[in-house]
Amino acid sequence: MTDTTNTFPAAETLPGQERYVAPIEETPLQDVDKVDESAPATSMWADAWRTLRKNPLFIVSGLLIIFIVFVALFPGVFTKIDPNYCNLDNSLGDPEAGHPFGYDFQGCDVFARTVYGTRTSLSVGILSTLIVVLVGTLIGAVAGFFGGWVDALLSRIIDIFYSIPFLLGAIVVLQMFRTSSSIWKVVLVLALFGWVSTARIARGSVMEAKNLEFNTASTALGSTPMRNLFSHIIPNAMAPIIVIGTTSLGSYIVSEATLSFLGIGLPTTTVSWGGDISQAQTNLMTNPMVLFYPSVALAITVLSFIMMGDAVKDALDPKSRTA
Amino acid sequence: MGKYLLRRILQMIPVVLGATLLVYALVFALPGDPVKAMFGDKPVNEAVAAQIRAEYNLDKPFIIQYLLFLKNALTLDFGNTFAGQPVIDEIARAFPVTIRLGIMAFCFEAIFGIIFGIISGLNKGKWYDTVILLISLLLISVPTFVTGFAGQYFLGVEWSIIPVTAGSDPGFFDLLFPAMVLGSVSMAYIIRLARSEISSNIAEDYVRTARAKGMSNGSVMVRHVLRNSLIPVVTYLGQDLGALMGGAMISEQIFNIHGVGFLTYQSILKGEGNLVVSIVTLLLLIFVICNLLVDLLYAALDPRIRYA
Amino acid sequence: METNNVNEKLLAMQKAQGPLLEVKDLKVDFTTDDKRAVHAVRDSSFSVYPGQWVAIVGESGSGKSTSAMAVLGLLPGTGKVVGGSIKLDGQEISGLKPKEFDKLRGTKMGLVPQDPMSNLNPVYRIGTQVKEALKANGMDVAHEKRSALAKALAGDEVAVKTNDDETFIGSAELPALLDAAKDALAKIGVTGDRADEFMKAFKDEWVPGSETRWRVADDLIKAGVKDDDAWVIAKKYVTGSTLNDRIAGLLSEAGLPDAATRARQYPHEFSGGMRQRALIAIGLACRPELLIADEPTSALDVTVQKKILDHLHYLTDSLGTAVLFITHDLGLAAERAQHIVVMYKGQVVESGPSLEVLQHPQHPYTKRLVAAAPSLASQRIISAHQRGENADALLEHHIVGEDKLEKSENIITVEHLTKEFKLPRKKEMFKAVDDVSFSVKRGSTLAIVGESGSGKSTVANMVLKLLEPTAGTVTYEGKDISGFKGKELLDFRRHVQPVFQNPYGSLDPMYSIYRSIEEPLRIHKIGDTKSRQKRVRELLDMVEMPESVMTRYPNELSGGQRQRIAIARAMALNPDVIVCDEAVSALDVLVQDQVLHLLNDLQAEQGLSYLFITHDLAVVRQIADEVVVMQHGKLVEHATTDEVFAHPKMQYTKDLLDAIPGGKLQLGLD
Repeated sequence: MTDTTNTFPAAETLPGQERYVAPIEETPLQDVDKVDESAPATSMWADAWRTLRKNPLFIVSGLLIIFIVFVALFPGVFTKIDPNYCNLDNSLGDPEAGHPFGYDFQGCDVFARTVYGTRTSLSVGILSTLIVVLVGTLIGAVAGFFGGWVDALLSRIIDIFYSIPFLLGAIVVLQMFRTSSSIWKVVLVLALFGWVSTARIARGSVMEAKNLEFNTASTALGSTPMRNLFSHIIPNAMAPIIVIGTTSLGSYIVSEATLSFLGIGLPTTTVSWGGDISQAQTNLMTNPMVLFYPSVALAITVLSFIMMGDAVKDALDPKSRTA
Repeated sequence: MGKYLLRRILQMIPVVLGATLLVYALVFALPGDPVKAMFGDKPVNEAVAAQIRAEYNLDKPFIIQYLLFLKNALTLDFGNTFAGQPVIDEIARAFPVTIRLGIMAFCFEAIFGIIFGIISGLNKGKWYDTVILLISLLLISVPTFVTGFAGQYFLGVEWSIIPVTAGSDPGFFDLLFPAMVLGSVSMAYIIRLARSEISSNIAEDYVRTARAKGMSNGSVMVRHVLRNSLIPVVTYLGQDLGALMGGAMISEQIFNIHGVGFLTYQSILKGEGNLVVSIVTLLLLIFVICNLLVDLLYAALDPRIRYA
Repeated sequence: METNNVNEKLLAMQKAQGPLLEVKDLKVDFTTDDKRAVHAVRDSSFSVYPGQWVAIVGESGSGKSTSAMAVLGLLPGTGKVVGGSIKLDGQEISGLKPKEFDKLRGTKMGLVPQDPMSNLNPVYRIGTQVKEALKANGMDVAHEKRSALAKALAGDEVAVKTNDDETFIGSAELPALLDAAKDALAKIGVTGDRADEFMKAFKDEWVPGSETRWRVADDLIKAGVKDDDAWVIAKKYVTGSTLNDRIAGLLSEAGLPDAATRARQYPHEFSGGMRQRALIAIGLACRPELLIADEPTSALDVTVQKKILDHLHYLTDSLGTAVLFITHDLGLAAERAQHIVVMYKGQVVESGPSLEVLQHPQHPYTKRLVAAAPSLASQRIISAHQRGENADALLEHHIVGEDKLEKSENIITVEHLTKEFKLPRKKEMFKAVDDVSFSVKRGSTLAIVGESGSGKSTVANMVLKLLEPTAGTVTYEGKDISGFKGKELLDFRRHVQPVFQNPYGSLDPMYSIYRSIEEPLRIHKIGDTKSRQKRVRELLDMVEMPESVMTRYPNELSGGQRQRIAIARAMALNPDVIVCDEAVSALDVLVQDQVLHLLNDLQAEQGLSYLFITHDLAVVRQIADEVVVMQHGKLVEHATTDEVFAHPKMQYTKDLLDAIPGGKLQLGLD
């Protein structure tokens, strides 16, 4: 090999490569590493909120969710009619004054049932999500944090649950309670087969957060592993869990409706969209609108939560943050 | 590769055992008497109940029950239905229909999901990207039974484009729309997955390096962006193949297709717990095997996995 | 004298051909989300002549990479050339359509990118990725012009008769060729050892797919074979190579051993250095006239960096390729390039012949850069305190902690420290640290130097009691730390504090700066809210940060600022020892210089002892009193800093010193 270090050709320079020094007034020097004190201070959450506020997806879904929650809390504001008051004389009756959506087969007011169904769907969605997030995060976090045999054991359990398709699992269990179903049973069954996906995500993000250097830094400052877990690891692992929580809230509502539709979800005495859709299908050919209203309500609710999940995901995406 | 396959199969065994045990336990060992559940609203006939208990070994300790079930399952002996038919015969009748439906749904979601995902991913921000994205959001949000009913009503009843119901021996056109309904949600997920993968892969350094080599935009997209984006999409598709079989229930119910889902639903209505467990066990096996195939495919697509 | 002739000839040729790349008043803008234009490059001009190395030097955000990518037509995201001109071989290329750019890239311009880990597609074999480059450009290897230049550089004369003579050796013909060469040698009476010597040289040189017919003929002629005979052999046996030969040839040119086998492997089976070589092979595959090397070795160890750059230099010289070399390291730029362009905040502030710019920097920014470049510094930083005083004070530096001398002289002692790790699927244990002993003297700085895998960070982690040693002891103030538990451990943690490498990772992004600095006080239950606030203010002042950053979050601060926050946090408990694990490695030169001065001032004021882990010997000279050199887990050399720099004893230390970029440049600094 030839000598490759610089041999520096003669002092003669080529055209266009003459010595050049920029005028100092055009290239003012700045302090090295100056702190920009004008920018507003933002935590990760504040930052995410700023991104969210500008996202039309978030605004639309946020307003919808507020409205849906309001309907669920105060259905009486929207209708004075008892959803369980049914009169067979009105069976499949057309819309009329005070009954804008008409009557179903049983002669119940469709509008009232659609309004009151909100509460059922929302409770199932929120309760299942809460349990799933709590249990899933806990198990996932324990597996990810402790590693070793604890992780191996929990991961196998997660694998086993994961290998059972969600709907099938729910059907197997719920078919036994066909006659004795309740909101709580549906919620528990949804949670029983739903926690795995959250646990997987929680495990992954805890493992990722565990390996970040600030944990080592804290340990070297005198912090204990447990303190690290609660004050550093879990807060940093929350973002993906919040995202999946929001999105799955929507999918639990769908699942509940699907199970009710199959006749093994909520008891028929409970006013629910899935149950009503199931009831309405027998008269689909003659009265499709009875099926239409609860379906639209269901779709809008689910859509709101899934859009919200999307918006939150964009806002919390670490890639979009200035590193 | 051989070693990897062996390892994956070995890992699969405890999962299958655990999952079948779990399903079995949920049905037969939970508080609540499965035999009572079989009678539904009718009064319990103690003599019949005892007979059923003996037939399904429910009078033996739980773990023995499970092992006996497992032993019989290995020889495809799932016992008889209430009507006296061997369960395996019922399943054998129903499965081909569901497999046909499942494969059609799979093809539908794979082809359209990937095509629209690519269109969307490569044209982020254009109006048709927004349209595709909105449609996929809608498909995810609207439960399949609603999509199914809507299609059935408009396309079948109002406009008579598709057959309203499929019947017991459905042909390709009978199953076409049900398959689309079955695959629609997954298609939407695939669109979103492909789109986000493509847009993140476009920004990868190796894509820039490929351009710097002088490769044309077309070949950079095909060889580097699409090829790499396909890995998670294929993984998703594979896992979905098993799930489709389970999810077929809704489509089969709406369109009256006599497949596995329909059979499951009927047995639930009739309270045939044994039939339900048998079907679920089989579906579970299919699901796990699909997952295994996905893993192998994944390893074939991504060399990093093979050596990990 | 010959060198001069070559240079003159080269210069004449370059002058005659005119600049290969001419960038004039280039303006590049990026558009932010809220549609504001950010001027990444403003009115920048520079030019590159054929066969020349030109370096663009600047810190991160200076616009150096952006300028290079604008030339390649590969600006990321919303980047756009909004003004000025870029001429390649006289042709304006700044407004070209993507399709027209495709034709230029590969054959006219190549790229060796910065990060070897992310620039190869993980799903394709290395060979396939080289093949893509050849295929994309129709494999037409137009050699002639560059061969002429190459010869001008090499200074020898060979008659290239026809274009055919650029044909490569094929691997199938190689054995026959070697036999023929042996026979030819025998014919002219060269036998025995001398023949073996020649044959060995031939075997090494004649790489299939890389060496050409005229080279073979030339080698034979040089060995003594008659001209005609040599050409007959060359023509008979050098008849062209397969695509696979060519790929292997390119890889082996880039310095990859056993290239044919390597070509069939995947990127994840390659080390960083090997990947970078593969990327060099790809960048040069189609013999571009201009190679843009964007920090090609910044991610690599110094000795690997030196090897790869040496090789790249040799390769581009022999191909006559011009190189636009992007780097943040002024020393490296001066060592490798004839012409330097210094960029600052998107503008060219100074340019000119390398040595001249380095010796007589005129722009204040360049002056600042030259002053801060660790590779060019020749002595230990003097603390601010001492800077203000006379020379006597300077000499007293090493005995700052004199009043404490009644305690033992060594604050940390490491004896026979060994750490073994279990490797997955391997039986034998891997010795990350192997019998290392040293001690840190009170109030002084001991640096551990080594490359990746040397075990230096493992030592740091054992000293911090974050890892338990397999054997050996670490003693702090004469006490073995292995037994520390509970209160004793907490007490130890209070006195021995770390500052880690990654300023992005070592601060919790969810914690405000106030909470981050307050955390140690909280853990050790010191003070109440009010006194803690006061202390945090003091600490911020100590690291020269404004109080207003208290409410901010790490993601809003630059790397250097975060590192200062990390130092403030480490200082919160008034420690005796600070372990700095690559604490300045990720920082820009000027920021690095600032942080090093800060560390040094703190040491002088507070009598701190530092254990300073780094891969950068140049930094060691600025901060350390004693140096421990580690390699493959073992202690290689241990001496005072001056001793190591003046009289390195071990070969490895010499290699490390050699590899300091710009280390050998003689500067008469102003």
